[in-house]
Amino acid sequence: MLDQLYQQVILDHNRSPHHYGSLAGATHSARGQDALCGDDILVELRLTDGRVEEAAFSGEACVITTASASMLMDWLVGRSRTEVETAYERFGQLLEDPERPDDSELGDINHLRAVSGFPARVRNALLPWRTVLRAFKERGIA
Amino acid sequence: METVESKVKDQLDVFALRDQFPVLERKVHDDKPLVYFDNAATAQRPLKVIEAMDDFYRRYNANVHRGVHQLSVEASEQFEGARESVRRLLNADSIREVVFTRGTTEAINLVAQAYLRPRLEEGDEILITHMEHHSNIVPWQMLCEQTGAVLKVAPINHKGELLVDELAAMINERTKLIGMVHVSNALGTINPVEEVCRIARQHDVPVLVDGAQATPHMAVDVQALGCDFYCISAHKMYGPTGIGALWARESILESMPPWQGGGEMINRVSFEGTTYNDLPHKFEAGTPNISGAIGFGKAVKFLEETGLEGIVWQEERLLDYATEKMQAVDGLTIIGTAEHKGPVVSFTLEGAHPNDIGTIVDHFGVAIRTGHHCAMPVMQFFDVPATARVSFAPYNLRNEIDIFIDALGKAREMLV
Repeated sequence: MLDQLYQQVILDHNRSPHHYGSLAGATHSARGQDALCGDDILVELRLTDGRVEEAAFSGEACVITTASASMLMDWLVGRSRTEVETAYERFGQLLEDPERPDDSELGDINHLRAVSGFPARVRNALLPWRTVLRAFKERGIA
Repeated sequence: METVESKVKDQLDVFALRDQFPVLERKVHDDKPLVYFDNAATAQRPLKVIEAMDDFYRRYNANVHRGVHQLSVEASEQFEGARESVRRLLNADSIREVVFTRGTTEAINLVAQAYLRPRLEEGDEILITHMEHHSNIVPWQMLCEQTGAVLKVAPINHKGELLVDELAAMINERTKLIGMVHVSNALGTINPVEEVCRIARQHDVPVLVDGAQATPHMAVDVQALGCDFYCISAHKMYGPTGIGALWARESILESMPPWQGGGEMINRVSFEGTTYNDLPHKFEAGTPNISGAIGFGKAVKFLEETGLEGIVWQEERLLDYATEKMQAVDGLTIIGTAEHKGPVVSFTLEGAHPNDIGTIVDHFGVAIRTGHHCAMPVMQFFDVPATARVSFAPYNLRNEIDIFIDALGKAREMLV
């Protein structure tokens, strides 16, 4: 089970996260913190016509949060807020129900479903998603 | 390992001690023996404590101080007997000085609201240290918001030791209370409480001590320490959760108004006015945590019967052994290297987040704490988002530390 959680794809995303860094011309941003765990990330988005043109994240976090953020940033490009909200719900269901088949719409993100066997870590997998959803709401860079 | 641990028997029969803790027989993650290294978060309970609480519910469950019937009399005797045990634990003068609370946190809040609040004016100062647990920070911040008082923080050094001279220099005529932790849960540092109390007395400033992490590991004598308030939690010292105590000198408690109103804390109630009960009941509104108090009393007896000398002896061996083994791990940094330390080792591992370390070692049966340990200012001081922490009890073994070090090696393999 541990090998599932820390499988190669996830470790690779942690070692070399995609879309890591700050984003020039960001229109939306939010900081996601989990004080209890020590995770602290910043998500930045550039939206054009209601769709994510570019996304980036930065900060310090555990493997699960970092990999989840990295995969999510890949996935986000071209998506609308409604699409993200729907996918967030489906991702949540995936983490709740190990019997559920993989969600083809979510692509690589399916690799994170082993988190469901580690209830204390579900919050880490969800943190980037929650931060993106907040970024949609709280527009603008401080 | 046999020979190493059998030497322990000269001082403390660790295996006989382990037999008293049923949970230590548990396996986790299918077949891994539990290695419980999260004792600073909450210790495990010996049978004596579990059985005493069970016995109360099975044989003499009744409310205390209220009934003339036999069960109530028995319950009251056991409840007050527990108070006497706590008095003995702290070497307090009288049971009138021992107030049962929900724990250390509630004890500190009680002092903040019932003792300090009426004495504070805008611009007055409350002095704490940089290594406090949130429970000895936030009640004072709330009080500052309510009164316009100011919270001052005495610095620590990079070993995690309190800078006593700097603390002394911060005391002035506006300082109305000093709050300090006896043993830091995040760093393990044992603070020079006696010295700080001596300095504070010269300035007539009362000292509150957060003793939650001290009573399981050392003899505490509130009279010798010279403090004014001492706050403890039963669950850190092998008793149940949800119960603890505030000790304060009788004259101080007498001078304080009640905190919460209700039953038990009154002498006589009419709609024209109410007179309050005697100490310590004045501060114990409502039906108390009776089974908790009984378990608390048994935990004190457990410490007495096990013997603090043997406990300290075993804990120091565990701390030394763990420190040595951990220092040899590549990329591992110990956070908190004070000269005087309790059996706590906080650490970071380069390239590995504490969360992931915690998950991986747990898979090998080792329960450790990861995160900010309710001491976020300590994390900020050492500039880390979080740490991992092992904390020991005398029932832990050196070969459990070996298991932990192996598991840590696996974590490094996977993550770094």
